[in-house]
Amino acid sequence: MKLKATRSKLTLIPLAALILVLALLPLIGAPQSWLLYAFLFFIYLAMANMWNLLAGYSGLISLCQPAFLGLAGYTLAIGTWVGLPWWAGLLGGATVAALFALLISVPVFRLSGIYFAIGTLVVPEALRMVFYLWRPVGGQMQGAGAGYMIKGTGGVSTHLIYWLAFVLGIGSIFLMKRVLKSKLGLGLAAIRDNERTAASCGVSVFKLKLYTFIIAALVTGLSGAVYYLYQGYIEPSATFNVRWTMTLLLATVIGGIRTEEGPFIGTIVVVFLYFLLARYAGYSLLIQGMILIGLMLLSPQGIVGMLRRSRYYRYLAQCVST
Amino acid sequence: MMGSGDIITPLVMGILLGGLYALIALGLSMVFGVMRLINLAHGDLVILGSYGGYALMTLLGLDPIVGLVISIPLMFLLGFAIQKYLMGRAFGISSEAPLIIAFGISLVLQNANQILWTPLSRALNTSYSNLSFSIGLRQFPLTYLLDFTAGIIVMLALRAFLIHTYLGKAITAASQDKKAAQLMGINTKRVYGYAFAIAMISAAIAGVFLGMTFPFTPTSGVSFLTIAFGTVIIGGLGSMLGTFIGGIILGIVQTLGGYFFGPASQMLIVYVIVLVVLAIRPQGLFGR
Repeated sequence: MKLKATRSKLTLIPLAALILVLALLPLIGAPQSWLLYAFLFFIYLAMANMWNLLAGYSGLISLCQPAFLGLAGYTLAIGTWVGLPWWAGLLGGATVAALFALLISVPVFRLSGIYFAIGTLVVPEALRMVFYLWRPVGGQMQGAGAGYMIKGTGGVSTHLIYWLAFVLGIGSIFLMKRVLKSKLGLGLAAIRDNERTAASCGVSVFKLKLYTFIIAALVTGLSGAVYYLYQGYIEPSATFNVRWTMTLLLATVIGGIRTEEGPFIGTIVVVFLYFLLARYAGYSLLIQGMILIGLMLLSPQGIVGMLRRSRYYRYLAQCVST
Repeated sequence: MMGSGDIITPLVMGILLGGLYALIALGLSMVFGVMRLINLAHGDLVILGSYGGYALMTLLGLDPIVGLVISIPLMFLLGFAIQKYLMGRAFGISSEAPLIIAFGISLVLQNANQILWTPLSRALNTSYSNLSFSIGLRQFPLTYLLDFTAGIIVMLALRAFLIHTYLGKAITAASQDKKAAQLMGINTKRVYGYAFAIAMISAAIAGVFLGMTFPFTPTSGVSFLTIAFGTVIIGGLGSMLGTFIGGIILGIVQTLGGYFFGPASQMLIVYVIVLVVLAIRPQGLFGR
């Protein structure tokens, strides 16, 4: 027994080493492009984890994640124009995203299943129009659309932004573990198995789903704000874009929806493909689409579903979880 | 068109435009009504129809409407294959699998079109593209009238098909109660295949008329998907007549919104109306 415990600790060492290397990546003189891909990995990972929480664990196929990350990004951008410090913009952005989730829950939570998906799909489209037209600060339009520079971030080093993303990405993994083990997670599991039975046993279905929706909006918003802090510029058409939804969906489904490690593995694949086919943007998405279809038909549980058939992987997963 | 005191012009434009929206939405409505599947790839399949028309026009010099003779059978086969090899299997996996597969198809189509045709904006320009017709003193583009006519013809044809033919009745039966239909000896798998294939015919027709009215790019599918959703939501799912009326309402909302609040905000008003209808009457204005 004791031997087994030490052995499982030994297998954890490479994982811990990997995380340490990722944390120190900016300091050991890694090339800029590596930093960019690691940064994207963390941002996508945090958002994909949240999408998995919604679609995989709560049955809420939300197609409005761009609304959360975009609103947070705009809060950050507009905040810097009126003199707010950038960190207040990040927190404010996450808060605005969470409040917006509360607001749209009024119409969209009346819908269930597939209707919920349609209802949420319309939200980012509407917001894009709003931000084309509405320009609260900064006077006249500059160039095409109503874009904003994120001002006064000269003092924020790219290393700091990288570490923010690192904390968010790794933190989202622990958040998922925490949520799924909490009363909220148990309630969600009960709803997933049988919604009616859960409701009749005193599980407040509406409340639990609303909580996950707000948590997901908060974290997605925060990640979005960090992304735009890095980007330094925000404009409506790329922000409230279905591309974001596709990325999160791809990462979650390729890795394995409704599995804890799915988004982690899926995000690696998505970022790796992005890196590999960086010069052929169209081909990258074409291939991702084909992988998505093929994987869904062959292994609906994604790569994790395939891996779980191997004994070594099950052993490894057991070591990590203990 | 904007700013003058004349409200008739935007009203007529809205009704005609609504015919095009209905034409785009009919296939989506059919697939949803029968299979309970939101086909997220519908917009891209319509745009595929536009590119089909473009290819036949530039390579063979065919008029886009005549070109439908070639593109309709191709789209029919494509639809049947998609249902048989992808969607049909996905239904057996989980409730979200068909949705995700549709997403995958949309991704593949968009980027295949981008690679084949470049991201440049294209249009189906014909000899009659710039002609207009007049009602009283007001001039309207002829293509809008063609859109509206095509919308009515396709809607009536689909309705007649669903009510009067054996296959149509089988499709309706399978959409109302799948198990009962199977017990009555209906091969629901085949019926689903035909339903998807017929939806693809309407997408091919919609694509051609869309391409004659507006310029299109490989990524235009997303915005027309949203419009089609709005149409289907307002009209109620699965009903062909409801979808048609939904399209007209959406068209009028858009042009009147542009008339009263300026052209920049017309699509925003459309989306807000869709969300309001969803919140108040999720089954649509004419849904049961």
